[in-house]
Amino acid sequence: MRKTIKTPEVPMDRILTLPELKSNPFRKRICHVFSTSEHKDGSLTFEDFLDLLSAFSDSATLEIKSHYAFRIFDFDDDGTLDGGDLEKLVNCLTGETDDTRLTAEEMRQLISNILEESDIDKDGTVNLSEFQHVISRSPDFVSSFKIVL
Amino acid sequence: MTSYSSGGFFNPAYHDSETLEIDRRSSSRTHHTNPYAREDPERGNMHYLSPDQTSADDAVGRVPWGGWQEESWRGRESIPMGLISTRPGSPSWQHDLNHSTFQIPADSRYDRSHSARLPSVSGNMTMRWRGISMRRMSMFPNSDPAHLAFTEDAIRNEMENEEQNLVKELVALSTRDRIRAIRDLPMSFEEKKHIRSQVLTFKSAKQSRQFTCFADCSENMSLSFRRCGYNVRSARQTLELWQGIMKEIGGTFGTSVLSYFVFLKWLLMFNIFSFLVNFGFITIPVLVYDPSPNIPLNVSFRGLEILTGAGYFNYTVMYYGGYSNETLVGLSDYNMQLAYFFTIALYMVLCGIALIFSMASSFKKNYVLADSSSSSAWQLLCSWDFNITNERAVRQRKNNLRVQLTESLSERAQGELLTLSEKLKHFGIYLGSWFLSTGLAVGCGVGIYYLCIYEKKHTTDAANWSLLQEAETLLVPFVVSLINLVVPLFYSLFNKFEHYSSQRKQIYALVVRNVLLKMSILGVLCYYWMNVVAEKFSCWESMVGQALYRLVIFDFFFLMLGSFFGEFLRNVMGRRLLPCLGVPEFDVARNVLELIYAQTLAWIGIYFSPLLPAIQILKFFILFYLKKVSLTQNCQPPRRSGRAAQMQTIFIALLFFPFFVGALSIVAYTAWSLTPSEQCGPFRGLNNTFSVVEVWIDKLETIPGSQWVVWIFQNVIRSEIFYFFITLIIIVVIYIFWQVTQGRKQLIVQLRQQIINEGRDKSFLLEKLQNLQKSNKKAKQKNHKKRASRRSDDHSSGGQSNSNAMVQALLARQRIEDEEERHRAGGVPVPSDISNSSALAQAMLARQRAEDQNEDSYQMSDRHSSSSIALTHSIQVAMVQGRDENYGMSGLSENPVNTSSAVTQAMQARQRAEQHRADDTDDLPSSVSSVMMQVMQARQRAEELPQNPAPAGSSALIQAMLARQQAQNEYDDGY
Repeated sequence: MRKTIKTPEVPMDRILTLPELKSNPFRKRICHVFSTSEHKDGSLTFEDFLDLLSAFSDSATLEIKSHYAFRIFDFDDDGTLDGGDLEKLVNCLTGETDDTRLTAEEMRQLISNILEESDIDKDGTVNLSEFQHVISRSPDFVSSFKIVL
Repeated sequence: MTSYSSGGFFNPAYHDSETLEIDRRSSSRTHHTNPYAREDPERGNMHYLSPDQTSADDAVGRVPWGGWQEESWRGRESIPMGLISTRPGSPSWQHDLNHSTFQIPADSRYDRSHSARLPSVSGNMTMRWRGISMRRMSMFPNSDPAHLAFTEDAIRNEMENEEQNLVKELVALSTRDRIRAIRDLPMSFEEKKHIRSQVLTFKSAKQSRQFTCFADCSENMSLSFRRCGYNVRSARQTLELWQGIMKEIGGTFGTSVLSYFVFLKWLLMFNIFSFLVNFGFITIPVLVYDPSPNIPLNVSFRGLEILTGAGYFNYTVMYYGGYSNETLVGLSDYNMQLAYFFTIALYMVLCGIALIFSMASSFKKNYVLADSSSSSAWQLLCSWDFNITNERAVRQRKNNLRVQLTESLSERAQGELLTLSEKLKHFGIYLGSWFLSTGLAVGCGVGIYYLCIYEKKHTTDAANWSLLQEAETLLVPFVVSLINLVVPLFYSLFNKFEHYSSQRKQIYALVVRNVLLKMSILGVLCYYWMNVVAEKFSCWESMVGQALYRLVIFDFFFLMLGSFFGEFLRNVMGRRLLPCLGVPEFDVARNVLELIYAQTLAWIGIYFSPLLPAIQILKFFILFYLKKVSLTQNCQPPRRSGRAAQMQTIFIALLFFPFFVGALSIVAYTAWSLTPSEQCGPFRGLNNTFSVVEVWIDKLETIPGSQWVVWIFQNVIRSEIFYFFITLIIIVVIYIFWQVTQGRKQLIVQLRQQIINEGRDKSFLLEKLQNLQKSNKKAKQKNHKKRASRRSDDHSSGGQSNSNAMVQALLARQRIEDEEERHRAGGVPVPSDISNSSALAQAMLARQRAEDQNEDSYQMSDRHSSSSIALTHSIQVAMVQGRDENYGMSGLSENPVNTSSAVTQAMQARQRAEQHRADDTDDLPSSVSSVMMQVMQARQRAEELPQNPAPAGSSALIQAMLARQQAQNEYDDGY
């Protein structure tokens, strides 16, 4: 019977006013990944919010962190990081404005470098296991994929 | 539903038949949308009344399919379905299947499957699930809705199975492990709850018989214990020291700077612990026994003692000399000598263990698999600090990241284009700077030694020094601290001339030079204390303690000065006077090395001045705030981020290896080899400190019941044999582990190669598949044209689209075969979860099934039995074989319904094959004859039909397919 009562959801705009998420370049992706809302608007229920915090907590394992990082970076939700995802990722990290983003040539070079480095099975995309392989080689990830309350 | 009951797979012979899995599936299919429906306009009118009805049929036909696959696909074991289907209000896909599967367009279904986070399963299982969806994507790049819908089902089934496996795994675990395992699943809260409830219901169902009161009680007990533990943990988190400040620093300056403060805090805690130990076991008993220090009358507190630590302090419990060697008689006897010895020993051992453990865990986490290529782009992309909350810091960080990314690109582009002369020049600079830095370190050590000798001449053993004498003692610590401040600055100047290929190497070089410097200074000082001071002064341990006290205090002052000059003045200069210098960055490496040096002083001093940790606590506490203010006021976030965790590991390793081990060996040397002073301290009158244990053992021998302690002492502590064996065993174990490591390294190389091979296989297969798809479409179009023009009117279009569907099936089959060949050629069997191509095979099977089902739906719509399908196929074989000779096959117009006509058709096929061979100029006799054999076999199967209708029919189908395929090949070759 509990199922029939709709759990209240906090809209994404409200969530994004939190100081911990306000200036994060991935804030919208984070909301979308953790949201279980049917409208796909990134609104979070209380349980989604708990999920978010636990994934970003100190005690979450590398497994969980890399899983969610993969989904955050997977902008088109297709289960792989392809060229488009990587481009969006780099743009998120360097800033979206024209003067901060990389040039098209640099971007192309960078993406081909990334794929060359991490695409073990050479299918042109980075899948979860390849991503986790990469993550296991960058030890800073665990300490930086963290939100301190 | 009809096909579910009418399909042949209830027949036991069906399951035992030797045919391929594909056969089993092909006979039990129902209506299904043809993936090529849009390309075949004729078909819709003939077999389907309307599109709406089609989808309705589909929805019905699909339901039993999941259940069927559950039990027969690959013979997988699974938990009875009841567990899944009876769960209350489960948000599972089954509802979708029953109600809404086909009302929703395929595209949106696909989207939802991701956002709804279908129950995925623990670590590797998630990966597998991801893998499947990934493979599906690459399988069907131009997503055909029908395909997607179908593979979606296959994936759901797969996941359903995996979920059940997971539940089974979890049930087998103990409560604590299960809780941890569930917590570590990468799923949403809802799904975790669902898994947990499933596990619990499964478990209670299992245990209901042996349910006892005791089990209930223990369950409750463990539950309350766990809750208590959680409460304690959360309370501890609330009481965490400096949490707010840490967050602020991390939010503005990132993790690498934060790691300095974490290290500082860790050292502070370390010192609090050591202070508590020393104070509790050594100082408190003395203070309780004799609260007033016995200070000579002519010594008074003058203020300068705070700096020098001499004079008044010399007679307090601050130093070694302030402790007595008596056995304190109170409520029970307290042997001061033993207490002093064991407390220090225990403290050193505990420090060592704590360091080893933190170092090992840090190594395991941060260093083991770290890549050597530091400029790799991924490392930059993954290093985004989610900690950072400051708007300005985020902007700065983005800029830095962009610069680093472009740098990494240009570095890569430049490559290694250094000429020989350039290389030689670099090498010369390295050599020169290393020579210079080592020379500087040695020179500093020598200088300090002569300074100490000079100081020794001027100090006397008198009880009361004049103020000047006292002030003179400050010379050595002043010089030492000055060297520690200035020389590292020189070292960082070297970096301007050297060109290290990576920043990491640069930092390492800096760290190694600084360590050398500090080691040489400390080594010289220790030599002086052990060999010169110990000879000259009557209460030399206290003198050493004083010297260490002074060093600690001066180190503190110079740390403050360092942050004033290094950060504040630099900031002022950078902002006002020389803008080109810029705002300074916080140099984590240098600051951490200073901390390590400070801590080493405290460790060496622990024997000579047991309360030195108190000074250290004060020092670190003030330093924390000082550094924090200096950082926020003067510094900017570091331009180069990353490697913070790795650097931290190195720092802990440094703290352990040269510094802690050095301090330990000095203390051990003092305790074992040096004669304690005769006038003061707890060990007066003994040959060395360790003999206090011998005396104690001698005493113990007289007490009955403590013989075992004596035995242990005689046979373990004092026996060389014991240590010999221990060393031997450790060496053997190390050797074995080393071998294991080597083996693993090889294994890693092999597995990596295997992954690459699998990837190549996969891309090859995909290419082939796409080619086939293209050629298949073309061929089909050609077929259409041919048939439309050449066939007479009485040919039913049903037959035409049958053959159309069969082309699909054949192609799919061919693909499977190709892939099987690949597998055989590949040789090494690979576990399914890491093998891409075997999973690919599954995806292909799914696709194959889709196509099979399409094809079957045609057959079923004609209300034929499965035998007639086979026959139709053999007719098709025959027809294609003889297509160029005879197009008007009258038999085709009637749908064959009985066995004898099937045989006739097969015979015809054979005839035509023969005819064809005769026509052909014996080019390919072998292939034609093999085609014949296939057709013969098909005929045989068809004749067996009455006994065993479904399997025979379906295997006949396969044979017919083979025949047709070969015929087609040959046909193509002929032209």
